[in-house]
Amino acid sequence: MDFIPHNDKTIAEMLDIIGVKSLQELFQDIPKDLIIEKLNLPSGLSEPDLLKQFEKITQKNKVYSSSFLGGGCYNHYIPSLVDFVTSRSEFYTSYTPYQAEASQGYLQAIYEYQTIISRLTQMDVANASMYDGSTALAEAAIMSTIITRKDTIILFKGIHPEYEEVVKTYCWGQNINIVYASEDNLIEKLNGDVAALLFQSPNFFGDIEDISKFAKNIREIVPNCLIIQAMTDPTCLGILNPPGLTDIDIFVAEGQSFGLGLSFGGPGLGIFTAKQKYLRKMPGRLIGKTTEINGEKTGFILTLQAREQHIRREKASSNICTNQALCALATLTYLLALGKTGLKEVATQNIQKAHYVKKELSKIPGYEILNKKPTYNEFLVKCPNIDSLINLCKQKDLQPPLKISSYYPEMKDIALVCVTEMNSKNSIDTFLEIARIVSNNKTEGE
Amino acid sequence: MISNIQLIFDKENEGNQQNFVPKMEIDQTELDEILPASLLRKDLPIPNIPEINIVRHFIRLSNKNYGVDTGIYPLGSCTMKYNPKVNETIAKLPGFTRIHPLQEENQGCLELLYHISKQLGEITGMDGFTLQPAAGAHGELVGLLIMKKYFESKGIKKQKIIVPDSAHGTNPASAKMAGFSIIELISNEFGEIPLDQLEFAMQDGNVAGIMLTNPNTLGVFDRQIKEITRIVHENGGLCYYDGANLNPILGICRPRDMGFDIVHLNLHKTFSSPHGGGGPGSGPIGVVKELIPFLPIPCLISTEKGIVCRENDNKSIGRIKAFWGNFGVIVRAYAYILALGSEGLKKVGQIAVLNANYLRILLQQKYKLPYNRICQHEFVLSDQGIPNDITTEDIAKRILDYGIYAPTIYFPLVVPGALMIEPTETESKQSLDYFIEVMNKIYEETKQNPELLKNAPQNMPVKRLDAVLAARKPILHD
Repeated sequence: MDFIPHNDKTIAEMLDIIGVKSLQELFQDIPKDLIIEKLNLPSGLSEPDLLKQFEKITQKNKVYSSSFLGGGCYNHYIPSLVDFVTSRSEFYTSYTPYQAEASQGYLQAIYEYQTIISRLTQMDVANASMYDGSTALAEAAIMSTIITRKDTIILFKGIHPEYEEVVKTYCWGQNINIVYASEDNLIEKLNGDVAALLFQSPNFFGDIEDISKFAKNIREIVPNCLIIQAMTDPTCLGILNPPGLTDIDIFVAEGQSFGLGLSFGGPGLGIFTAKQKYLRKMPGRLIGKTTEINGEKTGFILTLQAREQHIRREKASSNICTNQALCALATLTYLLALGKTGLKEVATQNIQKAHYVKKELSKIPGYEILNKKPTYNEFLVKCPNIDSLINLCKQKDLQPPLKISSYYPEMKDIALVCVTEMNSKNSIDTFLEIARIVSNNKTEGE
Repeated sequence: MISNIQLIFDKENEGNQQNFVPKMEIDQTELDEILPASLLRKDLPIPNIPEINIVRHFIRLSNKNYGVDTGIYPLGSCTMKYNPKVNETIAKLPGFTRIHPLQEENQGCLELLYHISKQLGEITGMDGFTLQPAAGAHGELVGLLIMKKYFESKGIKKQKIIVPDSAHGTNPASAKMAGFSIIELISNEFGEIPLDQLEFAMQDGNVAGIMLTNPNTLGVFDRQIKEITRIVHENGGLCYYDGANLNPILGICRPRDMGFDIVHLNLHKTFSSPHGGGGPGSGPIGVVKELIPFLPIPCLISTEKGIVCRENDNKSIGRIKAFWGNFGVIVRAYAYILALGSEGLKKVGQIAVLNANYLRILLQQKYKLPYNRICQHEFVLSDQGIPNDITTEDIAKRILDYGIYAPTIYFPLVVPGALMIEPTETESKQSLDYFIEVMNKIYEETKQNPELLKNAPQNMPVKRLDAVLAARKPILHD
């Protein structure tokens, strides 16, 4: 199968007009010894055969009916509306809106995305998107060193381990030093070289951090140190105080929860927001409102492009070009579909259902909840026998919680449990029943 | 005055909206027992809008947007080819969309990633691939970090990268992000790299390598490519291939055979994944054998137990994105490669070049073509010689009036007033002929009715917009 409209006669006519005798002749500039006979790949497939092949591939993955797995990628309901809007091919088959007048629809949608994100986060400005939460955090770290002209950043305990690694890679590229800190030693790690403190809340272990407790200290010790917050499941903003009201300088988040599905972790959405004063140092595209040159109608256009690589080349604020536009459109649609009432209800269900599971688990002998701070939809629990818990979950068609030792080998027998609005009472009861069975077996074994 | 724009936020309607949330079912706890009041938000300024109003809003917006499905999209260096619909169906299978990146039963996903990296290896000649980068520029950053790590591992400090003046803007920006400084090479009258200047630049001794696009942004295949890579290698450098322009050489020749060590591809250009209005993309990186240890994690290998992640031995540059790259985009590209197969991919290269040359021959009759040679996927016209102070921008805006999208303008920088045209292989002759007809009509208008161009566009939802105003007083949200 190919998607080429010409027949042989058309090809011959076109070759004739060009003035060459064969298709081969069009490649006359390529040195002869570089030309290959053919690629060593199988022949093409028809559409039905192609679909059959993919059916086989997907059968090697398991789709669970219910899930207790989070860890940076979350199972939330996606309104049908989201796929409907992002499937409009006027949107998904378009390029970056360089010709504004032929792209007003998409430009307005991204302007609305920037608007809804700044309302949700209460941050001054949001850009048009980054690749994902992890790269958004890494770019925020770099941005802080450009703003402050300093070369050290502090990573606070509890950042998603994969995000931490991405920040580390980006910082190595730019010779930025990384210091690790926790609540106990943060103050002693602060000094004049520090460009930013990066933290995550709710953090990887589920804790909701109250940064206002340290913010004052940080500002006193290093007045121009930026405070950067990351978040992996921003549905919590349906009930939690937004970062813009807690003196955060740059706030980044993974937008996957807002209508993108699991999709094996990608494509996601890097939500990137900052205080107004940092606008011209921001990476990525920005859509602005303007008027026609004659001043009449209102329109939308890519703006502040002097920060970007296609104008500034090596002096750009970042190398990013293609971002995650369609995912931003999905997120806008998701947030509009849910609306104020729905988003609040989603957040409430997440915290209530997770809290219920947490409370019930803590009553079962052998389980210990490890979070000392309030949590949203994830928490850490020490289990009597984590492998047995995981196996029994799988047998009951429940996606088991994350075994945290896969990231932190020293944290044995600890599960990171995630409960969202998608967990029915039935699935929660099954999970708790499994936990009880594991507890009983352990007790009997002893 | 009634505004021509109605934002979705103007449609606010205080309705109850709980259509998308399942039943609570469990016994709730008072929220203040779970959280201190100081952590709770007081106001959530997001509207409640009835579903039908949201639908109508987005349909209206989609009517004000142009995509490949609307018509020819001759945007140079962007390879705006048709996006097969079967790929969308495949990418939306629950066996992909409902798979968690950290779940154990994921062999379908891992096998897909492993197999496409082998296919891309065959297509480019490279020995190993990573699918982690989320876009072309992200791939460039990864490729350059691999260079950096390679030299670090040998205890050699190299701080510069050579980038020709015709390169995509992301090249120098990515080199900078990887901590390199840039040496710019001026291309010659054929748009090719002058060998003597390259030799001179390489003698610096501090050069890690070169970034090249071949065919370059003028659509010209550099005839001396093997000489170029030889000179760089002999002086201890590595050669990086920007794969944005791979489409015309699919199945014809391979970057590895030209002497490249690192290659990035744009799955959303060459391999038909839709561009999505600016993403998501996918920018896999392929490398020669010696550089495989430096690829980012996770890196997949095939074992008796199936496809698994390679142990990290600290040679890797580390992680560059959470989880597994833009998996959904990769699925579409895999479907495309399977659908086309060996013959289909070769035909892509051939017809992409046929279509570009057909346009080149017929358009150069009126428009100036500074680099007049057989081109590959694209070619570049100039606004020089156009009368009545008509600029490239005027021409582009007038093209919109005829219901088609404009070429890339003012790039590459080496051509004054550039119009960079890439039709791709999926445009029919009829569609190309319409584009020629429009361009010829516009040419006549430049002489007979220049005001039509200066005031273009007239038939779009808005007339030409004020970019200066937008930048001087940025309004980025309502």
